[in-house]
Amino acid sequence: MSSVFNWIDSRFGIREPHKKFFQRPLPQNMNYSYCLGGIAFTLYLISAATGVLLAVYYVPSVDEAYKSVIRINEEVFLGWLVRSMHKWSANLLVVFIMLHALRVFVNGSYRPPRELNWVAGVFTFVLSMASGFTGYLLPWDQKAYWATVVGTSMAGTIPVAGTVVLYLVRGGPDVDGTTLIRFYSMHILILPLLMAVILWLHFHMVKRQGISGGM
Amino acid sequence: MAKALGRNCKDDIYPMKRRDFLKRIVKSFFFLIGLCFVPVFAYLYPFKIKERPVRFIQILEEDDLPQTGVKRVSFSYEEGQTKINRHLFVVRSDEGLAAFSPVCTHLGCLVSWNRSREEFICPCHGGRYDRHGKVIGGPPPAPLNRLPLDIRDGRVYVGLKV
Repeated sequence: MSSVFNWIDSRFGIREPHKKFFQRPLPQNMNYSYCLGGIAFTLYLISAATGVLLAVYYVPSVDEAYKSVIRINEEVFLGWLVRSMHKWSANLLVVFIMLHALRVFVNGSYRPPRELNWVAGVFTFVLSMASGFTGYLLPWDQKAYWATVVGTSMAGTIPVAGTVVLYLVRGGPDVDGTTLIRFYSMHILILPLLMAVILWLHFHMVKRQGISGGM
Repeated sequence: MAKALGRNCKDDIYPMKRRDFLKRIVKSFFFLIGLCFVPVFAYLYPFKIKERPVRFIQILEEDDLPQTGVKRVSFSYEEGQTKINRHLFVVRSDEGLAAFSPVCTHLGCLVSWNRSREEFICPCHGGRYDRHGKVIGGPPPAPLNRLPLDIRDGRVYVGLKV
């Protein structure tokens, strides 16, 4: 096993830089609040993994969406567990990003040269909120439908451009099947991809700049 | 280079006992994550595999049956909302009347009746069957699937698992 990894790594060369990263000196006054970002990332991984599993059974159409969610909950082996894990990891992701941001704010870790990483962090927060909003519509029940009607209406209140934005988000004047597919593709393709890219930027800067010593 | 990459962590400058312990913990976490693939397999495996019941479908009138030889019969049936078109071969020989599914038993291509050679020929890999559905050449492992026929009130029905 390790000889196979050695063969790959002598060509790929990832062990040495990671060893350097894992064995780098850390500030003395760290505590468990420095784990919040890592917890948030773990939750992102869990929601990504369970999301892939849900996508196997979910059908993004007006006629089938709700039925397929019921099927996942009641017929698929451990489907209820996978769906609950997706829901809870998504909710907790938002919570832990906020707690992580709070820790960074309190410690003043956002100060130069880390201000760009704060911006990247804000983007992950916006993306996770957008994932939550688009994912909320997918069960296509009454709560999901009306939440999306109200939520998208807010876009319609933007001065001048409101209607254009509203039609763009809904894919028409009403929340219907077009909106469902739109939200579905956002939820499973665009947002997770953007999230992965932004997270890479985020972690790259953490590696390059090191963890701030705090106050 | 390769030697430097492959070196054991004990050669490093740090005291390693605690680190080895933590490494083991991290590795066991990865082992637990690996174990998740067992329920994931169960999750992905089809949850309902039910044996389909045989349904008798009318394919033609008794008068339209071939007097002798092989006849290709097209028919259709409803499955839920959708209409499905299929065909089969009805054969009258010295052994009586028989209906054969056109699905080759090798990999499921559709065979056709070659009039001049008097045999069913599969276009995909050259499977050959005689008029009784028996394999006479090529890769098929079993004879053509013979379908149950039923003649009632001048109508011909064939039993299909649909």
